[in-house]
Parts: sequence; C-alpha cells; structure tokens
Amino acid sequence: MARLDRAAGWRPRRLAEKYWLLALGLAAWELSGALGLTDPAFVPSLSQTLSATRELWERAFLFNHVMVSLTRVLIGLIMALAVAVPFGYALGRAFPAAAEALGPLLRVFGLINPYCLFPLFVVFFGSGETPKIAVLAWVSLWPIFFSTLTGVRNVDPVLLDTGRSMGAGKLTSFLRIVLPAAAPQVFSGLRIGVGMSFFILIAAEMTGATAGLGWIIHSAGALYQVPRIYGAGLCVVALGVGLNRFLVFLQNGLFFWKESVDPLLGAERPSQGGKRISSLKIALALAAFLLVLAVGVHEIILAEVRLNDPTAIPEYRVWSR
Amino acid sequence: MKITADTFWDLFYKVGSIALFVLLWQLGCLAGILPKTFVASPVTIVETLWQYLNDGSLYKHASVSLLRAFYGFILAALVAIPLGFMLGGWFKNFERVFNPLLVFLGQFNPFALFSVFLLLFGIGEFSKVAMIFWVSIWPILLNATLGVKSVDPSLIKLARSMGMGKPGLLAKIVIPSSAAFLFNGLRMAAGTAFFMLIPAEMMGASRGLGWLIINAQINYQIPKLYAGTAVIVVFGILIDKFFRYLEKITVTWKEAQAI
Repeated sequence: MARLDRAAGWRPRRLAEKYWLLALGLAAWELSGALGLTDPAFVPSLSQTLSATRELWERAFLFNHVMVSLTRVLIGLIMALAVAVPFGYALGRAFPAAAEALGPLLRVFGLINPYCLFPLFVVFFGSGETPKIAVLAWVSLWPIFFSTLTGVRNVDPVLLDTGRSMGAGKLTSFLRIVLPAAAPQVFSGLRIGVGMSFFILIAAEMTGATAGLGWIIHSAGALYQVPRIYGAGLCVVALGVGLNRFLVFLQNGLFFWKESVDPLLGAERPSQGGKRISSLKIALALAAFLLVLAVGVHEIILAEVRLNDPTAIPEYRVWSR
Repeated sequence: MKITADTFWDLFYKVGSIALFVLLWQLGCLAGILPKTFVASPVTIVETLWQYLNDGSLYKHASVSLLRAFYGFILAALVAIPLGFMLGGWFKNFERVFNPLLVFLGQFNPFALFSVFLLLFGIGEFSKVAMIFWVSIWPILLNATLGVKSVDPSLIKLARSMGMGKPGLLAKIVIPSSAAFLFNGLRMAAGTAFFMLIPAEMMGASRGLGWLIINAQINYQIPKLYAGTAVIVVFGILIDKFFRYLEKITVTWKEAQAI
C-alpha cells in the first residue's frame, strides 16, 4: 500500500473529500427522477441514462463509435506532432530570426477559430474522414507548436554553457540538454491540444459524419431519443475526463523531475514531485495507444457496414441512409 | 515621428510576414497555381466583403453573432465573478469541497450539452446564449477564485489593523490584487465564447456568422465562404486584443501575466 499512498490522490480520505459532492450530485439526479421532480421527457434519471447507454452499447455499437472518435483524435494528434515539434525545435533553436519574423503570422493562424475552417476543409478534401482529421490536426497543431517554441527558448542557458564547457558538441547538447529540457512544455501543449481537439471533434461529428460519438448524440437528438442523448453525452464526458487523467498521469510519470500536475486543476501542484514511471508502464501505454489506433481505423472502415447490420437499432439504420 | 531604420524593422517584424503571406496568396491566385474553384483571392474576398457591407447583410449576421456572444458572456461574468469571490474569500472550506465538482463541470464537452440545451430551451436564441453562458462561466469562475485566494494575507492583515471595514477591504485590496487574474479569466472566456458560438450557429441557427459560412459551403459560394471566415478570424483576434488592451490600461500596477 505504500506505493499507493505516495500518490496522494489515491488516499481514500482525499478521494472522499474530493468526490463526495459529485456522488451527492449523482444521487440527487437519480432521486429527483425517482420522485418525479424532473420531467423524464427532458431530464431522464441517472438509471434511465445508464440503461440507455447500455442499450447503445449492445445495439448501436457504442464501443465502435467510441473507437472511431478516439482514432480521429489520435490521427490528428500524430499529424500535428509530426509537424509542430520539429518546426518548433527548428524555429526556436536554429532560426530564431525566422521565428521572430514569422511570429505574428503564426500567432494569427493560432487565433483562427478552428471551427470556421471546417467548411473550408470540406471544400478542399470532400466529405469523408479527411476534413475532420484535418481540423483536429489544425486544432492541436498550434498549442503544441507554441509550447515547443517557448520550451526550447526557455532552456536554462547555464545548462547549455555547462555542457559546452564539458566539450559537448552541437548535436550532443541538442540531444542531451535541449530535447529533454523542453519536453515537459511540449507535453503540456499536447495536453491542451488533445483537450481542444476532443471538443471540436464532437462538433465536427455532429455536423457531418456517419460514425462517432458526436454522430450518436446528433442522431439521437434528431430522433428525439432523450435518454440516448444523455447516455452518449455521459460517454463523451467520461471519455474527455479519462483522456485528461491519462495524459496527466503520463506527464507526471515521464517528467518526474518537474512539479506534478493536478489532474483536476491542470495547474502545477506545488509541494510534491512526481514518481518516475516504469518502462513497463510506458510500453503498456504505447501498446494501448497502438491498439486503439488499429481498432479505430478498422472501425472507421467498417462504419458503413455496421450501419446496415440488422441487429442494430432500426432508427440508426434509417438515419444513416 | 522620425522614421528610422529601427522603426522600419519593428514594423517589418510586426506585419511583414502577414503582408507577405497575403501577397503570395494573391499572386498564387493570379498565376493560377491556386485553383479558383477552391481558393478565393484576397482581392475577391475584400470585394465580396465590400458588397455584403453595402447591402447590410454582413452587419445583420455579425451583429446577431456578437449579441449572442455578448449576452452569454455578460451573464456568465455577472454570475461567476461574485460567486468566485465568495468561493475564494468567504467560504474557503466550501470552496475546497466545491472546486473538484466545478472543475469537473468545466471539463464537460459543451457540444454534448448542446442537444440537451436545445431540448430544454428550444431552438430560439436562448439555447445559444445558454451554451455561450455555459462555456464562458468556467474560466471566469476559476480565475476569480484563484485571484481572491492569491491575495497577499499580510496586506489584508495590515488593512484590518488600520481599521478598514469589509467593503473597503474588497474595494481597495481584494479587487485590485486579483484584477490580473480576473482579466485573464475574462479574456479566456470571451475567446471561448466566440470560439464556441460559431459551431453552435452552424448546428442550429438561421442567422449569424456561423450560419453564413455553413450556408456558403452548402451552396458552394467560395468567395462568400472565405469572406465569412475572414470576418470571424478578424473578430476573434480583435476580441483577444481588446481584452489584452483593457488589462494593460486598467491593471497598471501588476506585471502582465504571460499565458
């Protein structure tokens, strides 16, 4: 138990202190439904919502839709990382003058409302997966790029000088000093990017998709299936919060020398440092990542077929046509 | 003002890259590298904007959008600032209990709620304003709470020992020293409000800038699509700049927080 105790969030008392209000809220939700205080046509109770989620899971391929949504986020993220990190390092380290000259233009790009680019991307890329993934890549690109740039610029010059006086060449000092020193910042940018792209994803799926969580919500709304809206909404919330937790866990483990990040506030927790993550856990996380990617791509390809499955809820089959 | 080499380079660094980008865009369109069916040239965009400005439709859609964002934002500020002050100042234990719930609520995906808001409030203006209210309340609330919590306690003790009452404490110590946080929260909220307004208008509206561009996309009116996008981009940047400027001229005693 000692190991669990060190990660302060796991102590039962702290857990209770943090979440009793949430539990109370959920209980109040259920009770107000049971006592007839809320109109089930608009606000179904917690148990009704959960049974709707179960129904979606069993008869509307909820799992597959979740995988589709997650994969879109992941592919967008990989594309954004592939562009933003090298450019951030290059502009921050090798071409600072270019970074200064390009700065205003890039800032304008970063301030562009990503959602208003969605119609443009539809015009460019047609109506398949590409415009959605392009929007997600665009959304996560800028936070990652700017935090990489800041991270690379704010590398402690003393560290670089020390390295140089010990005879480290350019390559060595880049690999051993700049890269790890800026990595926590890059990861913070990544976390912001994932959060924002998950926001945008649901909206993108609501306007033009045939699979994904946003599509489930949208079609349930169009069919006036209120418990299903809440059921799928619950999934979106759980997935968003879970994704954030997972990234915070990774960040605290990977950059254990930094102050740890509070999963709720997203701000740095003072007092305690993180605990180093074992390489087994990193390998597991990577494997899970690849698994989600593989399953999700498979599901995206299968999405149209699934909709024609006779065991699915009939309305969903009709809606897809 | 004397124009020296320095001011020239200053200006170059500020707008040079943007001007170059627009110039290349225009040249690409003129040379035919960028296909006309997909990309409208900057000159065409300006012409389209001028046309919409003259027939009043731009004004109509922009004012509808801005009013929605404004109402949602003002309502959120009116609720969140006093609530944040109370949570951060007077009911500290209350805040410790409530904060996880509030942060959790803030992480809710607003689009999962949009369908619910449509159900609860109908398809009129109110559901959109409710959505803007929902997304802008969290940054303001969190920053107001943080701001009040970060007030130097020795300042409060000092003021109290000099016989200052609660209203004076609030007006002279608490509000000034948490103002930087407050402005930060307001700026983030205004940005988010405008940011979320566009998809909300795309999904369920018949007026507004979001509707303008989704309608242009459906009807394949490329110049209109680009013109609407340009207006949204400019408004987004102006809102950000406006709040930064407001913070700079009002919170003169505190160094700007770089976030």
